[in-house]
Amino acid sequence: MLAGAQEGSEAAFSQLWRDNNPALLRYLRVIAPGVAEDVAAETWVQVVRGLPAFRGDEPAWRAWLFTTARRRAIDDVRHRSRRPEAALREIPAEQLPRTADTADLAMEHFGTRSAIALLARLPPLQAEVILLRVVAGLDTDAVARMVGRSPGAVRVAAHRGLRRLAQILEQAGVTL
Amino acid sequence: MTGRDVSDGDMPNFPWPDRRDASWIEDAALAALLAGMELPPDAGAGLQPVADVLATLGAQPGGDELAGEAVAMAEFRHRFGVPAPKPHLSRRRRPTLLTSLLSAKAAAAAAIAAVSLSAAATTAAFAGALPDPLQQFAHHAIGAPAAHQGQPAAAHPAGSATPVGPNASSNAAFGLCTAFKHATAHGTAAQKAVAFRNLVKAAGGADKVAAFCAAVPHPGASPSPHPTGPPSTHPNGPPSTHPNGPPSAHLNGPPSGHPTGPPSTHP
Repeated sequence: MLAGAQEGSEAAFSQLWRDNNPALLRYLRVIAPGVAEDVAAETWVQVVRGLPAFRGDEPAWRAWLFTTARRRAIDDVRHRSRRPEAALREIPAEQLPRTADTADLAMEHFGTRSAIALLARLPPLQAEVILLRVVAGLDTDAVARMVGRSPGAVRVAAHRGLRRLAQILEQAGVTL
Repeated sequence: MTGRDVSDGDMPNFPWPDRRDASWIEDAALAALLAGMELPPDAGAGLQPVADVLATLGAQPGGDELAGEAVAMAEFRHRFGVPAPKPHLSRRRRPTLLTSLLSAKAAAAAAIAAVSLSAAATTAAFAGALPDPLQQFAHHAIGAPAAHQGQPAAAHPAGSATPVGPNASSNAAFGLCTAFKHATAHGTAAQKAVAFRNLVKAAGGADKVAAFCAAVPHPGASPSPHPTGPPSTHPNGPPSTHPNGPPSAHLNGPPSGHPTGPPSTHP
């Protein structure tokens, strides 16, 4: 798919975009709340420009895609002087599970947006590491390079983030 | 009983009592969570909701998450020179074609005039409105007025003329024949079909083009001044109207008042 897109295949690029843009948006909605769509669009423009010269396989390309998005998001957020925690304020409180009764119902219809809102309640590094591992599908080493930390620090951040997530869900009454 | 500060003696059943609490995640469970795999049986019950949340992060895309494709595709087409909606030239091939098209002066002149120029540009050529070097090319190739010699289009009788675009029976025949040969060797079917329709018509059939062109005299004998070198306005980059795609307007389209042949002021 990547090779096809690099040779100018419109269908191949379309598939690449469809395979990756949802994950990209989910990541950006946590690290660049409010401007995720804009940053994603800018990221694709930059990625298209660099596509012919890119050398590597699809996992490497995926890491490059998210690295590009991360840089653009940092520039954008810095420019707007907004903090990633602002994500929570954009999610209506009623979308978060509150009680055990609503939890089951909420789990069935637990939208991606709600999950993203929960992730956004974590400290930024923890949320980002979990998103890059789970949503972007990057391994620990790739994530470590992206966020400028050691692989060990990435593992610790993921661990702490998931523990925190479990605590949040437990406090919200989401237990099975 | 679940805090980290509980002494070992209070929690004898736990192998690592100082690390255990309600939300402790073993390595296997952590790996499973991050990989989207099923949790191991001994994972804490509190982890299943976490796994469910993470699963929704990888759920099928919603409609709004695929809304921006058109913008990305437009950028892709722009960068890779893919004409929408049917790509038929790869990015690698196009510069080669362009280079070959622009390599020979006569071929370039004819190709620019016959293939690249839109009806509006043709109008400009007959109105003498192009920059001098390009006007001279147009004069040479499609019988438009020479530079500095053309009259405003309004000066020509309009309305009575049937617009047919370049006159393939004049000097233009030489340029069109040259470009036709070039397109036959290197061009696409669309180039031949659209750009040289007049030539085929003038020759009386596609099978007679070769004989027709063989009889066309070289315009070098013409008294009209020819450009001595490449024009300064020679296009260096991809033209706004790609020669490899269908022209936005056919040369024999319905312009409002084109002369049918060389203007009366033609030398």
